[in-house]
Amino acid sequence: MWDEAEFAFALLVSGLAIGLMYSLIALGFVLIYKATDAINFAQGEFVMLAGFMATTALAAQMPIWAAIAAAILGMIALSFVLERTVLRPLLGRPVVAVIMATIGLAAILRGLPPITIGAQTKALPLPIGDEPITLWSAVIPPVQVVGVIVSVGFLAVFTWFFLKSRMGIAMRAVADNQQVAMAMGINVERYFAIAWAMAGVVSALGGIIWGSMLGVDTQLSLIGLKVFPVVILGGLDSIVGAVIGGLIVGVVESIAAGYLDPYVGGGTKDFAPYVLMILMLMFKPYGLFGTHRIERV
Amino acid sequence: MSQRVRLGISLSLGLMGLLLGPAFAQDKELVIGMQCDRTGATQIVGTTLCPAYHDYVALVNSKGGVEGYKIKVIEIDNEYKVPPAMEAHERFKMEGAVIDSVYGTPQIAALNKKLEEDKILGTSPGFGTAAAADGKKYPYTFPIAASYWSQGAAAVKFAKDKLGGSLKGKKIAYLYYDNPAGKEPIAVLEDLAASEGFELRTFAVPAPGVEMAAQALDITGRFKPDFVITHLFGRSPSVSIKELKGKGFPLSKVVALVWGSAEADINAAGGFGTAEGYSCMQFAGVGHEYPVITQINAMYKAQGKEPPKEQANSVIYNRGVFQAAIHLEAIRNAIKAKGGGKPTGEEVKSGMEQIKDFTLDGLVPPLNITPEDHEGGGWVQIWTVKGGKFEKATEWFQAYRDVVKKHITATN
Amino acid sequence: MLHRESGVFKTSYAADMALYPLPIARWTVAAVLVIFAVVLPLSLHEYYLSIINLVLIAIVGALGLNILVGYTGQISVGHAAFMSVGAYTAANLAVHLHLPFWVTLPAGGLMAALIGAIVGIPSLRIKGLYLAIATLASQLIIEWVINHTPAISGGAQASIEVPRPTVFGVELKSQGELYFFLLAFAVAAVIATLNIVRSRIGRAFVAIRDQDIAAEIIGINIFRYKLLSFAISSFYAGVCGVLYTYYFGIANYEAFQIVVSIDYLAMIIIGGLGSVLGSIFGAIFVTMLPIAIRILVETFGGYFWDTAALSAVAASMRLIIFGLLIIIFLVLEPEGLNRLWRNIRNYFRVWPFSY
Repeated sequence: MWDEAEFAFALLVSGLAIGLMYSLIALGFVLIYKATDAINFAQGEFVMLAGFMATTALAAQMPIWAAIAAAILGMIALSFVLERTVLRPLLGRPVVAVIMATIGLAAILRGLPPITIGAQTKALPLPIGDEPITLWSAVIPPVQVVGVIVSVGFLAVFTWFFLKSRMGIAMRAVADNQQVAMAMGINVERYFAIAWAMAGVVSALGGIIWGSMLGVDTQLSLIGLKVFPVVILGGLDSIVGAVIGGLIVGVVESIAAGYLDPYVGGGTKDFAPYVLMILMLMFKPYGLFGTHRIERV
Repeated sequence: MSQRVRLGISLSLGLMGLLLGPAFAQDKELVIGMQCDRTGATQIVGTTLCPAYHDYVALVNSKGGVEGYKIKVIEIDNEYKVPPAMEAHERFKMEGAVIDSVYGTPQIAALNKKLEEDKILGTSPGFGTAAAADGKKYPYTFPIAASYWSQGAAAVKFAKDKLGGSLKGKKIAYLYYDNPAGKEPIAVLEDLAASEGFELRTFAVPAPGVEMAAQALDITGRFKPDFVITHLFGRSPSVSIKELKGKGFPLSKVVALVWGSAEADINAAGGFGTAEGYSCMQFAGVGHEYPVITQINAMYKAQGKEPPKEQANSVIYNRGVFQAAIHLEAIRNAIKAKGGGKPTGEEVKSGMEQIKDFTLDGLVPPLNITPEDHEGGGWVQIWTVKGGKFEKATEWFQAYRDVVKKHITATN
Repeated sequence: MLHRESGVFKTSYAADMALYPLPIARWTVAAVLVIFAVVLPLSLHEYYLSIINLVLIAIVGALGLNILVGYTGQISVGHAAFMSVGAYTAANLAVHLHLPFWVTLPAGGLMAALIGAIVGIPSLRIKGLYLAIATLASQLIIEWVINHTPAISGGAQASIEVPRPTVFGVELKSQGELYFFLLAFAVAAVIATLNIVRSRIGRAFVAIRDQDIAAEIIGINIFRYKLLSFAISSFYAGVCGVLYTYYFGIANYEAFQIVVSIDYLAMIIIGGLGSVLGSIFGAIFVTMLPIAIRILVETFGGYFWDTAALSAVAASMRLIIFGLLIIIFLVLEPEGLNRLWRNIRNYFRVWPFSY
């Protein structure tokens, strides 16, 4: 019995930790959707590219903090360029167009590293040691602790930003109604660029943390697939939703693997969050924290 | 865009098609078609495997080719998708290829029939269905290296030796990628669990397999096995190393099948220091200490170049060399059998079936391919991470051939 | 390009909606059919026929997806999953009940249509991105179910070998024989789509796409037509999956994963949403693009890279050019190749005058 409780606790804690790591990726997606209504199917590739930037900087003998800074700056620059060249011309076009454009973008981003810096897996060691943190029966690797801290930090900063800061309020206005925002004297294009830059920062840190956990190569982009159940559960335009959605997905995966797999004889971990997501779409289509949109003809 | 530019674009796209044209092979030249995955799901393997293949062929060509025939390799990236694999095969056929070096499990499955109809042999070293070892059922499909059944059996043998010669009452966990390739060895493992008397429990890792904390907990916290066999692909082997070690499981009680055993996996897991004790299975040798690798490097040196950087991932590189070498050996046998004449696909297939005690100076196991056994005996080596590098833990061995054979007969 | 409209006067709506808007179009279509049915198979090498075969199968799938995405305005990222539903249905019927292709093929399509209609249910409440992600989920769930149900997948390998199709006692094996088999279905799919989109159903689809709430108000049963659209689209996908199964001789769900769904989306976007001709152009373009890029790099790449680097470059370039083309089309020519074709046609229609 005691063993069972220990096991359940460990499952729960590892699920929560990994869930916050997912939130880190999902935050970038939500930021862009919230501010610009654009859907970024290339989020995984953004994360991968940030990892590549950091490893390239490390390979050039830069210290780790400089490599992290380089990745952040690189991602901001890249986000600016992409927003200008790809996303802005597609404003107001059907959803499928934006989805496909980012899928095309994803193909380009995956094609670039092999011919520029090589397809080999690169290690991205963070100076945080190897000793796992023990919490009763649960064991958490240090990199996940960093991930948790960064996620919670982002949650706090962005919540403050959108509720209190002038810029954040302007951004919410832009998201709510672009035309009215323009009429009120808000420079909409400037706020789009800022939103993409913020998403670039989030992707950069996500890439560095996930990259140090998995190693950096083009496969790193696969975690992009984890974003969808997270954002749907939490609500596409909610920062809190991204974090809560991440936690739910992490815990559901953990519990599915621990308690469901032995009975069905297969991996349910990847599939359980999607089932939950479909149920959510049926009963509460805008997620736990998403904004309801009322459509009128 | 002006009308004119639009017109120009469409016309040039149309012209692209006209550039196609079959290149006719010369008299003293033989063509091999090689499929590769450089941009798809398994590009980590392809980007090392394929350059190695080219390197070995270049080495042989630089020494005058095979029995006087130059070898021309046509590479096509199938992106790990099936339709391009079919297109690639037809292209190879048009160019008169005698071997189709297929890449990918779904791809070889889709081409099995076509290979037989076109009388061009195809190989699937380390992947594809295990039942294809039966040369009677699949005459033109050659696994040429240990199948997943043989690998599973060998892993059990290794565990048995490590646990003191008996598995009675022991517990073995099988951690696998939840796709057909990952599930394939289970049948053999279950049989062996019954005959050797150990308890087997399976733990699935669904795609993309970048996260398996819960499975690792289940293994280390609940099942508490005496040994873990892992069969993972892509990024997941490195995650399994980290997770098992993080949860306090000794890596010396872990053995990985062949796709979790490259330097890249160890590096991504945090380097050889982290993975100390981790054992993995190989169907070609590891490292650079083989005459053939030395020769390739000498060839590069003669051209004033550094050895290729792909050699850093020697496990996959050497498999590419192995694949090329066995193809050329089949061609050599065919040319010899024909007294120097240019062989057809059918003759190269018989050449492949005559391969006997082929070792490539120790890089590959003593392969014996016969018309019945296209697998070549199911030989593997186990290498263990020790002191910052791979060290050979066993010589070439095969295990439980009767069980594997029983499954092959039962399936076909 | 091939004909001019002058002198043709339409006096009824029926005439305006006819399959052949102009008398001469009949001759054009007949000429195209002769080229495809007689000239191409006699003159082309088997290799080129194999490429055309892949294109023909892709046309069926692309048409189906275009009905759903282009005509009805619903998004699906799970098209490939319906192909695998069709593939396994047909393979099981062919292997266990020894049924011929003319039974298994519609059966595969119908099974896919059924599953498609079920997957379409969420589309009643959600749209846009939400629907895209719901279909993505169905793709993963269908894959999972096939992978874990030996009764469907035929065992751990999840692949079922099927016998070659036979027509009048002839076993279709070579690319040339399969060409006629696939051509028949591709033509049937094109004609069926043309008829669907000009019928009451097709107009209802377009109304839903353009403004679903308004469509409901003018009396279109959205529930019925959205599900119908999913079912029809999945039927095409199922048939496409069965054709792949007979073409390769094996049903294997790993051949129908998400990347394939994305390829088909790319086809209809590049070809042109809501256009039959566009689906055909898209299928041709996406299937042949990698081949064309490879041949270009093989031919001219030697001037820029040494041979060892060439294969690596060709592969990555393909990915980059593919992505770039999608973006370029979306940004510069949202209506796709179909629009390009119309522009060319309009140019030549008044040639040699500019207007």
